[in-house]
Amino acid sequence: MDSTLWLTLSLLGLGLAAGLAYRFFHGRGHKVVGNECINLEKLAVSKNGDPVTTFGKTATLVQFSTQYCGQCPGVRRALAKLEYRNGDVLFIEADITDRLNLAAHFNITQTPTVLVLNSAGVIKYRVGGVPKAGTIESELTKLGVT
Amino acid sequence: MTTQKMIDPRGPRFGAAITTGLSLIAFYLSLSNQQLAYSTVVALGVLFFWSVLSPETHPAGLVFKRFIKPRLAPPTELEDSRPPKFAQQVGLTFALIGIVGGLFAPVLVTISAAFIFLAAFLNAFFGLCLGCQLYLVLRRVGVLR
Repeated sequence: MDSTLWLTLSLLGLGLAAGLAYRFFHGRGHKVVGNECINLEKLAVSKNGDPVTTFGKTATLVQFSTQYCGQCPGVRRALAKLEYRNGDVLFIEADITDRLNLAAHFNITQTPTVLVLNSAGVIKYRVGGVPKAGTIESELTKLGVT
Repeated sequence: MTTQKMIDPRGPRFGAAITTGLSLIAFYLSLSNQQLAYSTVVALGVLFFWSVLSPETHPAGLVFKRFIKPRLAPPTELEDSRPPKFAQQVGLTFALIGIVGGLFAPVLVTISAAFIFLAAFLNAFFGLCLGCQLYLVLRRVGVLR
């Protein structure tokens, strides 16, 4: 086989490998160590028109979105559904389109990014991108959400 | 806040599929037939420039609207047109590297085609838009407003 064809196939293989790696890692969350507690005053998000001042009883889900984010509305619906099913879970969304300082603080490089907080508001889990099916649910179970 | 134009996200992905094919051809040719490869990269550059300037009249967009969209289910989600447009500008930059750089060093045509291929391939077949990911990062760094 001549080298031209071989190189072209290698490029194709490289693209395929990168794509498969992306598919594998995207939306796969990881545990967060360091016990950072979210400051709701600084986060300053509102829900149904009222500022959010307390965390969910057993867990809080924080979604960071931007106005130009294509996959955020779908994730918002999925998380709102989890909140609806369980009254002890609070779901809040922070729009970082014009609040890039928030993005810098939480080191957000892609939207949506979802944080799972425990009852005290400590960040326990983080997912960059669209969470894979069941990840958020199983993290909530670990925090004692039934 | 101005209302943003919302688009069917499958439109840019269809365009990316075409770019994938063209850039792979350009890459192959750049290793065998320099002149044809150069023309292909110029064609890619023109297409990128077109979609930056006037995405509504872009041939790939028209083909999508006319022949593909009617056969698909309605989109579940619309997408803001800013990140894909920005991604096209990134694509144009890479095409320009090939077009201008190719005049001096033919290897730049190969490199430009390879980058365009990787970005377009990931967008078309895996839904990963590298340019869109860059958008937030560059805004954070302060390069974009």
